[in-house]
Formats: sequence, C-alpha cells, structure tokens
Amino acid sequence: MSAALLSSQAEPARLFIKNATIVPVVGARIEGGNILVEGGKIKAVGKEIQPPADAKVIDASGMFVYPGFIDSYSHFGLVEIAAIASTSDFREMGKENPELRVVWAINPHSVHFGTGRVTGTTTALIAPAGGTFAGISALLKMDGWTVPEMTFKEAATSFISFPMTPRPVGEGIAVQAEAKEDVTSKLVEKIRDYLKEARRYLELKKLAAENPGIRAPEYSAKYEALGPVLDGTLPVIVSVEKAKDIELAIKFVQDEKLKAIFRGCAQGFKVADKIKQSGIPVIIDSLYTGPSEPEDGYDAPYRNVVELAKAGILVSFSSGDSPAQGKDLPYHAAKAVAFGLPYEEAVKALTINPAKIFGVEDRLGSIEVGKDADLLIAAGDPLDMKTEVKQLVINGRAIDMSNWWETLYQKFKSRPEN
Amino acid sequence: MKPKITAMAISVALLVLCLSDRLPAAEKAVLLKNGQIITVNSGTVSGGDILIQGTRITKVGKNIPPPAGAEVIDLNGRWVMPGIIDSHSHIALEGDVNEMGDLITAEVDCKDVINPQDINIFYALTGGVTSVHTMHGSANPIGGRGIVLKMRWGKSSAELVFEGAPLTSKWALGENPKQSNDMGMGRARYPKTRMGVEEAIRDEFEKARDYKRKWADYEEKARAAKQSQGKIAPPLPPKKDYRLEGIADILSGKLWVRCHAYQSEEMLSILRLCREYGVKLVCFEHGLEGYRITNELVKYGVAVSTFADFWAYKWEAYNTMPQAAALCANRGVLVALNSDDPERMRHLFNDAAKTVRFGGVTEDEAIKMLTINPAKIMGVDSRVGTVEAGKDADLAVFSRHPLDPFTVCEMTMVDGTVYFDRAKYLEERKKAEEEEKTKKEPEKKNGGEI
Repeated sequence: MSAALLSSQAEPARLFIKNATIVPVVGARIEGGNILVEGGKIKAVGKEIQPPADAKVIDASGMFVYPGFIDSYSHFGLVEIAAIASTSDFREMGKENPELRVVWAINPHSVHFGTGRVTGTTTALIAPAGGTFAGISALLKMDGWTVPEMTFKEAATSFISFPMTPRPVGEGIAVQAEAKEDVTSKLVEKIRDYLKEARRYLELKKLAAENPGIRAPEYSAKYEALGPVLDGTLPVIVSVEKAKDIELAIKFVQDEKLKAIFRGCAQGFKVADKIKQSGIPVIIDSLYTGPSEPEDGYDAPYRNVVELAKAGILVSFSSGDSPAQGKDLPYHAAKAVAFGLPYEEAVKALTINPAKIFGVEDRLGSIEVGKDADLLIAAGDPLDMKTEVKQLVINGRAIDMSNWWETLYQKFKSRPEN
Repeated sequence: MKPKITAMAISVALLVLCLSDRLPAAEKAVLLKNGQIITVNSGTVSGGDILIQGTRITKVGKNIPPPAGAEVIDLNGRWVMPGIIDSHSHIALEGDVNEMGDLITAEVDCKDVINPQDINIFYALTGGVTSVHTMHGSANPIGGRGIVLKMRWGKSSAELVFEGAPLTSKWALGENPKQSNDMGMGRARYPKTRMGVEEAIRDEFEKARDYKRKWADYEEKARAAKQSQGKIAPPLPPKKDYRLEGIADILSGKLWVRCHAYQSEEMLSILRLCREYGVKLVCFEHGLEGYRITNELVKYGVAVSTFADFWAYKWEAYNTMPQAAALCANRGVLVALNSDDPERMRHLFNDAAKTVRFGGVTEDEAIKMLTINPAKIMGVDSRVGTVEAGKDADLAVFSRHPLDPFTVCEMTMVDGTVYFDRAKYLEERKKAEEEEKTKKEPEKKNGGEI
C-alpha cells in the first residue's frame, strides 16, 4: 500500500468540522457533533471537543457528515467518452491479461473524477475489463494531482470473468441450452487449466531457485501476476450472474483456494444460502438495470440486494461500467432501500462493507479516531437525489468541489435572457 | 412437464395477473380514497379522493361519496400522480427501429410494427408510466413516423394506440445520421458531416415540393379533361411516391417533427431551415446543449425532451451537465424528461428528483417534466398529464412522494383500469414460487414420467 500523500497545496494541517449530525457507520449517530482532523487522519470525534486555534473550521450546522463513500467497481479515469476509442483504456485485447495494471493507464484529470464525486464518493475501485483475466484493479482516492498521489492500493484485486450459461430461448431450444451448460463447464475447465499452468510455472521456478540443476522456466509476466492470486494474498473479483453459474463459481473458487469476491450475482437471491455458506462477499452492479431473466420478476435487481443482505452476505454497491454515471452510486443504495434493504445496511454497503471486502477497514469506511479523514458533508440525506453534498474531505483536506458541470452551469447561467 | 416449461407458464401467468379480474366495465366507477394527490395543475390535495367513471376522472376533491356499486380503493395516505408520460421511447416495436437501408425513410411507420407483447410495456407500468411516444431510430436525417401508445398491457396492437394523438416524424442530426460511431452497415454513406445532414433534409423538402406540384398539375389537368367532355385526353397520374408523401405531410404540418439533436448550433441551423419551409418543429430530442440556446428555443416555441443526467457516451453528448434540464425549464423552455431506454423508463421519477438537486427546479416543476410537459409535446395534454375532472384516469400510486429516494410505484392505472398492482403481484409470485416447489417433488418420485 502506497502512502496516501497529502496535497502539496498550502492547507492548515488541522480541520475542525463543527456541529454536524455525524453518521459514523461504526457506532451511534451523534447530533451536534464535532470532528477534529489532523495530518490527514481523524483525531477526535464527539460533542465536547474544541477547535484548536490554528484549525480551519467548517460550520456544518444542520448538515450531515458520513464517511466518504467507496465505489466498489468503476472505470474512473480509464474512459472519457465511451464512443471514442482513443479515450478508452480499460479493455485490452485477448483473453488472458492478469498482469495488466490500471494504474498504468488512469488519467487523473478525467472530468469524471470531478463529477463522479459530487454525491460523496471519496475512494473508488478502478477496474480493468474484458477477457477472462482482465488485469489488476487499484483503489484510488478521488482527489490528487497524479496517479501515485491518488493511489491508495496499487494492486487491489485481480479479475476472473466467469463463463455465463446462456438463457434458453423458448422451450424448443431447451435441449440445446442443456448442451450449452456443458460448454460452460468446458470454459471453466479452461480457466482451471490456465491456473494449473501458472501453478506449475511458479513451482518450477521455486524448484529451480533451490536446485541449481533445474532450469528455470521462461519468464511469464502472466503467470507471475497470478502468483498472489493463487496463494490467496491478492483477492480476485469473479463476475458471475446466473444462479447456476454462481454455484459453479463457488465450487471453482473453493477448489482453487482463491480469495474471491463476487461481482454482479444478479440471480444471487436464488442461491443466497449457498453464497452465505461460502463466505464470499458480493459487489452489486448498478441497479439501473433490468432483471437477468423476465421470470426473475421486474424488481429482481433490488430484491436481490435485499435477500443477499438478509442472508448475512457482505454486500457493497458500485456505480458500474460508466464513470459518467459514477455520481449515481448512492442512488443505487437508495433504490435498494426503497425495496426493503434497511437504511443502515445500505450505508454500510457504501462505506464499511467495501472497506472490509478490500481489506482496508483499518483505514477507511467509518468515522473513527485514527482512520483516514475521508468525509462527506451534505445538506441532507446523501442517499436522496435532492440532497447536495456541500463539501468532501479527502485525506484530511477540504477539496476543491468545482467540476466540469459546474463550470458549464456558471458560464451559461450568465447568458443574458431575452 | 419440464420444470423450465412450468417456469415459463408461471411467468406468463404473472404477467397477466393484474388483468385477470379487472377488465374494465363500460361505466364502472372506482373511487380512490385518502391519497396525497399531486394534481399538477392545481397543487397537492392532502387526504383527497379521485372518482373515476368509465375511463375518465370525473371528480377530484375531499370526502367524495362513493356512487352505488363503485369499487373503493383505500390509498391509506399514499401518493398519487398523473401517469408518467415518456415522450421519447422505442419500446413495443418489432425488431430494429432504425431503417438503415436508405438515408431518408419518411415512408416507414412505427404503427406497422407495434409489438403488444413487449415485456417493456409491463416494465413501464411498474415505473408508473402510462403513455409513451415510441419512435423510429436516429440513423436517418428524416426517419419514419412515430406513434403515441398507452400501456394497455395485454391488449392488441391496435388497442395500444393513443386515440387521436398527433402522428410524428422522427428526424436526426449529428453523429448518428453522419455515422460517426460505426452505426449502420459499416460502409461509408453520404452524409459524413453536419453540413451534409442539413443539405439532405433541404433536398428532400425541394423534392417533395416538386412532387406536390406535379400532383397539383395532374389534378388540374384531370379536372380540365373531365370538364372538356372528351375533347382533352385525360392526363397520366404521376408515380406515387410514399417517401415524398411522408415529406409532404411534414411540410403541410400534418406530422409533428421530433428532431434528435445534441449540439446547440445544429439546432439553431435546423430551426432556420424549418422556418424557411414552414415546418412545425415541435421538439428537440435529447437536446443536451439546449441550455445554451434557451433564448432561441423560447422565442420559437420549441421544446426539449431530454435525459436528466445521461451524458458523455459520445462526443456530442459531452458538453452538458445534469443542470441542463433545470436551466432550460427555469428560462421558460418546455422540458420533458424521457427515457429512450426501457430500463431508464422504470425510474424516471428518480431522474426527476435529480433535476431538483442539479439546477434547482421546484418539485412541482420536476413532476411537470414527467407529466403535463411531455403531454403538451405529444399533443395529448387535453387527455392526460394532470389529475383533473374530464381527463383520462391514467394514474400512478407511490408509497411515498414520487421524488422521495425511497419511493416505490405500487399501482398503475390506465383508463381507470388497474394494469399493475404491486401487492397483488407479490402475492401471486409467492403462490407461484410455492407451487413450483411442490411440483418439483413428485416428478422425482416417478422418475420424471408424467
């Protein structure tokens, strides 16, 4: 984990947020609470604490302070305009690219960082996509001058795209669909074979290091990159959708002894008990989506989150494939609440749950002394589309909230009317 | 019976469940009691009632006594608004909505390809949507005719048509007709610039004028021939050209023009062309840069049917902001929030809430963008878009205020008939799921032979 660097901008080392309703996520809500921030960390939280003389004071009377939200899957900085290939850097050619790292390609000045964070996101998992092994994601703070400055965890997860059993199209083709299920298993076998090859490579390399008589295998960046995946030190996000495939995927990750995180699980509600048993957490995709299959019911995407959380599975929200829609992150949580997810669970799934899923709960995900001072200060409930997030604090710094939308808005609001 | 087939059968049953026992009686009365009624035209009535007789609303107020034999639905303080109207959609159409075969395709008509079995009609209802303007795609500078449908799920294609709604002509400017993003058939085709797109439209106007002149000339000669009682030979009629007939209907104002456009200057340019030819340009579709030319849009009375916050998917959609709809509305432009997508259609009410945050319209104005504003753009505002006596009983019932982040659409009515009822849907689903479970077991016992 690289050290999260404070911006070089001249800022008081201490920040004091005064008289807010604090929702710490871990621990009870505090009315009229204060937060002292020092050296980029939360130094004190409570009603009684006083501002030091040199602290910059933010009066948050009538406002709400939450931990900054964590977007569990995004392409921030990897694509500017979807239709223009020259602005897109998240999808490499070929099926097996486990060695590619998003930090090599992120544009830290993409407008989508500025617009994506307006609703409260302070950290995002930035993911590659495509093929079977897409590469290595990173966790980035949503503010900074350079990628190294923004990088919180350079290698956060690896990726495996699990094969999907196609939906049978009408009863006449049911037989064919069953045949295709074998195709799914065959594709899974291919992934297993690839991992087997990587294991053989790593073992041989180890043997060669120990025994001068054994020739080391030819260097493979791909197999090298799978090392931490195979020894369980680097979690791997396995995207999987259908109930049947989820069951296959559980068996797959258990057999291969991978530290897995599922992503998607659109039909997870049908096998929630099995996911729970496996202990695998689930990253929910954008809820602006229809059901995986019409028979799942029109409300399946929302019902899915509710059922997974009810089963005790660790779930987190993500904005999904389009960084342009990154700001919708808390609105997906709101949608799940509308359909029965308890509000507190929804907030956890934006904060402490992703922190746990990515193994960074010692630093992120709640307002507790000693954690990174990543905070959102909102005029109301940040899950409400009508609420304005007034200020974000990232690494203890009240960041510049200006963005592309605001620039356009101010400019064209000033055009004289008829 | 295979379990898969059972699942299909149940799903079909689920989809039609709301219709089974709610078929509209000719003049059946329904009284919705004790709701928070967002009327749109005259504020919110707290603890109000709505009386529906037949397909129309006949009374809105407090303590309306139920007529004899009326069905009474207690809303228990839930919120009611006019059914949401989606002024830009492509649902309920068979197959592709872009006629890629030619540049100008004014001869094709969405009316010919209505698909009443599209499940998106049902999804529309689950999001409180009761009417949609469903239209040709955006591959052609002048595409086909669009049509307004009511979400009468389960009815025939003819019965979906919103009676009396004006027919529309779909135009498109910019990247799609000039095929900037590999749309279409993968080969170069004129036009490749915005200049060419505009010229393609002007050319067609001239051809249509010429065509109409030929017909007028023929008709005059035919009249003269008839009057001459055989002295003058009757002329041969010109060849019928359905494409140019379509263009002529645009020039005569019979078709309402809905023009897909993103950039402000292409909008101004096409506006100039339309004024020159006397074409009725009703609305810019998407119009993501419309906020830059609000003065001109207001002056010429052109509306904008747009997204709340969808952007940056292509270059011409980059120079915008979620404040755009609000900025247009606050400066007097008629604005509708549309879906253009069967999924977005399910949460247009959430989208409306975003325009309150971004750009600061009032909640009432945000609701108008889903109701009376699109109704005006579609020319159906005398029938729908508000909750008032005389209007169609197209209503959406929500668990909370429609702009509340945690609201759920619980019931949707079209013409006084309940087409979606969430409570009933859940009940039926539960029953179906239980039946599915019990069905599976005997199958195993007898080795799968039934």
